[in-house]
Amino acid sequence: MAVREAEPVGSLQEVKEAGLDREDLLGIYRHMLITRAIEERGHILYRQGKIPGSFYTGRGNEAAAVGVATAMGPNDVGTPLHRDMGVHITRGVEPWRIIAQYMGREGGPTRGRDGNVHMAAPELGLHPMVSHLPAMLPVAVGMALAFKIRGDRRVALGWFGEGSAARGDAHESMNMAGVRQLPVVFICDNNQWAYSTPTYLGYPIEHVADRAAAYGFDGVVVDGTDVLAVYREAKAAIEKARQGGGPTLIECLTLRMEGHAVHDDAFYVPKEMFEQWAAQDPIERFRTWLRSNADMTDDEEDQITSVVKRLLNDALERAEESPLPDPSGLEQGVYASAEDLDTPHHK
Amino acid sequence: MSTGTQIEVVMPQMGVSVSEGTITKWLKQPGEAIARDELLLEISTDKVDTEVPSPGEGVLAEILVSEGQTVDVGTVLGRIGPAGSEAAASAPEEPVPAPASVEPAAVAPEPALAAAAPVEAAPAPVAAPQTETSGNGRAFVSPVVARIAAEHGVDTTAVAGTGTGGRVTKKDILAFIESGASAPAAVLPGPPSTEPQPPAPEPAPIPEPAPVPRPPDETPEPQTIPVPEPMPEPPTPRPPTQPEPAPEPQLGPGEVLEPMTAMRRGIADHMRRSLDTSAHVTSAIEVDMSRVVALRKKLKPEYERTHGVNVTYLAFIARAAVETLKEYPWINGELRGESIVTRSSINLGFAVELADGKGLIVPVLKNSETLNLLGIAKGVADIAERARSKKLLPDEVQGGTFTITNPGGYGTFHGTPVISQPQAGILGTYAVVKRPWVIQDEMGQDVIAVRPIMNLTLTYDHRLVDGALAGRFLRDIRERLESWDEAAY
Amino acid sequence: MPELTYIQAISDALRQEMRRDQRVFVLGQDVGVYGGAFKVTLGFQEEFGPWRVMDAPLSETAIVGGATGAALMGLRPVAEMQFADFISCAWDHLVTVAAKQFFRGRTPVPIVVRLPSGGGFSGGPFHSQNPESSFAHIPGLKIVCPATPHDAKGLLATSIEDPNPVLYFEHKHLYRRIKGEVPEERYTIPFGQARVHREGDDAVVVTWGAMVHTASDAADQLAGEGFEVEILDLRTLIPWDKARVLESVRRCSKVLVLHEDTRTGGFGAEIAATIAEEAFEDLDAPVVRIAAPDTPVPFSPALEKAFLPQVEDVVKSLQELAAY
Repeated sequence: MAVREAEPVGSLQEVKEAGLDREDLLGIYRHMLITRAIEERGHILYRQGKIPGSFYTGRGNEAAAVGVATAMGPNDVGTPLHRDMGVHITRGVEPWRIIAQYMGREGGPTRGRDGNVHMAAPELGLHPMVSHLPAMLPVAVGMALAFKIRGDRRVALGWFGEGSAARGDAHESMNMAGVRQLPVVFICDNNQWAYSTPTYLGYPIEHVADRAAAYGFDGVVVDGTDVLAVYREAKAAIEKARQGGGPTLIECLTLRMEGHAVHDDAFYVPKEMFEQWAAQDPIERFRTWLRSNADMTDDEEDQITSVVKRLLNDALERAEESPLPDPSGLEQGVYASAEDLDTPHHK
Repeated sequence: MSTGTQIEVVMPQMGVSVSEGTITKWLKQPGEAIARDELLLEISTDKVDTEVPSPGEGVLAEILVSEGQTVDVGTVLGRIGPAGSEAAASAPEEPVPAPASVEPAAVAPEPALAAAAPVEAAPAPVAAPQTETSGNGRAFVSPVVARIAAEHGVDTTAVAGTGTGGRVTKKDILAFIESGASAPAAVLPGPPSTEPQPPAPEPAPIPEPAPVPRPPDETPEPQTIPVPEPMPEPPTPRPPTQPEPAPEPQLGPGEVLEPMTAMRRGIADHMRRSLDTSAHVTSAIEVDMSRVVALRKKLKPEYERTHGVNVTYLAFIARAAVETLKEYPWINGELRGESIVTRSSINLGFAVELADGKGLIVPVLKNSETLNLLGIAKGVADIAERARSKKLLPDEVQGGTFTITNPGGYGTFHGTPVISQPQAGILGTYAVVKRPWVIQDEMGQDVIAVRPIMNLTLTYDHRLVDGALAGRFLRDIRERLESWDEAAY
Repeated sequence: MPELTYIQAISDALRQEMRRDQRVFVLGQDVGVYGGAFKVTLGFQEEFGPWRVMDAPLSETAIVGGATGAALMGLRPVAEMQFADFISCAWDHLVTVAAKQFFRGRTPVPIVVRLPSGGGFSGGPFHSQNPESSFAHIPGLKIVCPATPHDAKGLLATSIEDPNPVLYFEHKHLYRRIKGEVPEERYTIPFGQARVHREGDDAVVVTWGAMVHTASDAADQLAGEGFEVEILDLRTLIPWDKARVLESVRRCSKVLVLHEDTRTGGFGAEIAATIAEEAFEDLDAPVVRIAAPDTPVPFSPALEKAFLPQVEDVVKSLQELAAY
């Protein structure tokens, strides 16, 4: 085994040592529920014709996304992908803006200039992905380079999938980050299917994280359905990077529980594989853990569920109130002007 | 290489961008024998120093460029004659093509090769409309000639053409018109012209609002109030500070230079001007926040759940300040010229820090006197968020009547903020700190209790507000905060 | 005023910006100890240290992508491509990421990519290209092509100050061949303002980069024939000074568009089309283009000379325009 395979997280005591109190745990649970609820709502809206274009979800990746984002510091930055809605939710992007983004409304983070999860929230440290995966990895490395040059104690996180690990951007960015020991953490959302391509046609080694050794830093594989294990590994890697310990590659192993996008029924995923992973649904898994380890009560569960429900209803209402963007403004905003540089993220 | 001719030694091109080189040393002198590829001289260029091997064998016949001289790439530096020949006294007459030279310019253009190359460097010749008879050529009229002809009512067939095939050129028709040969131009309306039309009588243009920024300290006087003496001129607004062409500041070791942003310059100017304008005095008071802390703990989850708003200490203080300001109109007022202005509305400004101390902005919550605690909490959260994401409207950073600044978030317990002009005061709120506090127990005995204490400061313009007034104002705010009446707010 | 070569002016400008603004830093291959392939950053690492003059691995993607990330975090990176030709390896990061980030996320990407471009020295197909028109087609990028030492310095300062991704094409053939007076103090030159390199009313040559000097030599030859040619140096292609070009077209009525890049889809086509659309009734002859033929840049001097527009080609076209 070339890389470490992370142990699952057990007792509440162990979780406390990782820096989470009971309130944090309930917060994580709420974020995972919001993440799934938004994507389920999006599915419905898409089928109602209210969302144009394609629609992608991260079902099955909620724990990986929320776990990593929970471990980020307030001034850390990242470039999450289309399976990482949980990162946006955890960092505090308002749900109504996400739905407005889906619908191409003015109220969405890109004001209808881009769609689905291509979302910016620079004030929350999130920079919008592009479709050319993993093109945001070199960008994350550049962010880390800025921190290193300036002496900021901040960390950049770059996400990629096991499919895009085959592209040169992944190599160039990890190599440069390794050479310069930059404060960056690479998160591989390994959901085992790059559209219809299985892992054995994408890479010839056991784990994507095996590659970390070739770039001179640590790699770790973690069960991406275990939100607490993901948190623990991400926290350790982020703090190591913050202390000057250089990059880490964390591979979160999950299964993409839906097609590549709504138009794909994923017929090529073997039934047994799907059923095996369905049995370890990350949200249900964490709910069970909370009930047996953190004494989550029926009341608490009901309260969280109803908060999420209300949040989603309000979000949908507000998103639908948001106007469509005014086409007369299309040609403005292609080029930045000097005053745009005074924005908070440009510090 | 033939021994019957001379071989040229040229300045080589040592890199794609190198255009010249300097001879540092000749390793052979005229008359000395030299073998092919034997080192002949040393040169230096912008990019590299190198030795030049001889391009052929024989005797160094002459040196044309001496040591220390700098010449262009391709320049002939010397010549090598056949073995047994003598050094020449002067340059030979017959130019000899260089052998394998690295310098493209030294390769004589070979017309045969260039012509055979399947490429087309020259443009296609300009397609003249007709090259034969003048009659056909005159029929073509270029767009500009057609336009000028139409504008001036000129028959182009009457103009002598000097262009290809007798075509009438722009110069031809302009000369024709200049000579007075054409009909009067004005009678023939041309096609839509790019020339400006003579101005038709029209209503007087509405003047554009003058884009001259009014400096905040330039205070127009109310017309109705007689002024006994001429006012001193407000300070002339300085032209916007230009970073150029100020000399670059000298940097010491370890120092870092960064240009000011427009926002930073604006803050710098305003702060300086405020201190030059108002007579700043600061008074402070300690407030026992026990009641507010307890109330906030109770309201916070409720407000969050039902209104999605985080109720902060600042909201309580702002609410108390508004209520108190109603009773102290001068502190909510301003000096305008020789007069004192008070008003019925309270527009509360909040100093919002942009990330990492790179600037601040003071959005204004208009008509705060109409808002209850929830309204203020919502309003503050909204303008602060929009201030940080740069989504404030211009109107929302103007018209403040009193400002609250909250530097206590980092634990400071006292400060002396600068007044936002032309206001009369600014309230500073500081960290809530648990302190041993002397209170009276139910028996009337003095005892020490642990209480959350906060310092509040009022920085006021002593030109308008006296110390006693400021003290009473602070006392009343304290009173409101310490005995917070939930129903009233 | 000191006389500097074109490359010295670039180097001076960069050093001046790095002294003035600590956020400015350089990254690229061999830019450190070696001072860059063309020695633009020679001595910089001693002055600014290894992190502000950063030797990158052979990774154009990571260099331009990394510059984008650093710019998003508030720095002002100046990335060097060893040759403009190698920008193809970073295409994605200019076109997909840097050019579109502000449009989508309102987050400016103030990066400068320095691109040593152009031919004339047997650099062959991979060290001689002028790929500016490929990027002129990408909304969100700005394109700068200085022709003189004075402009090289002022335009580099503007490029670094600009809040957008700027491609700064510096012509290798001009590096040490062109000298001119350059003020010592810092100055900027606004984008989108053409410069009249030579005055004349009989025809206008619209051009940029090294071809400004080719056109100038040609115009000097024609002056003896009583044909005065204006040379308009665009200086920046995005944005380009359309108003100034149309003004010259209206005055001169005969136009030659000249560039070193290949013909089809070259930026000259955009200029010619604009003239046809907006100044048709001011033309006294067809708009003429001179450009390199549609081939890769050849290596052999004989072929390269046939490829690159020469002074005599320009003279011939201008003579034809004069006679038209």
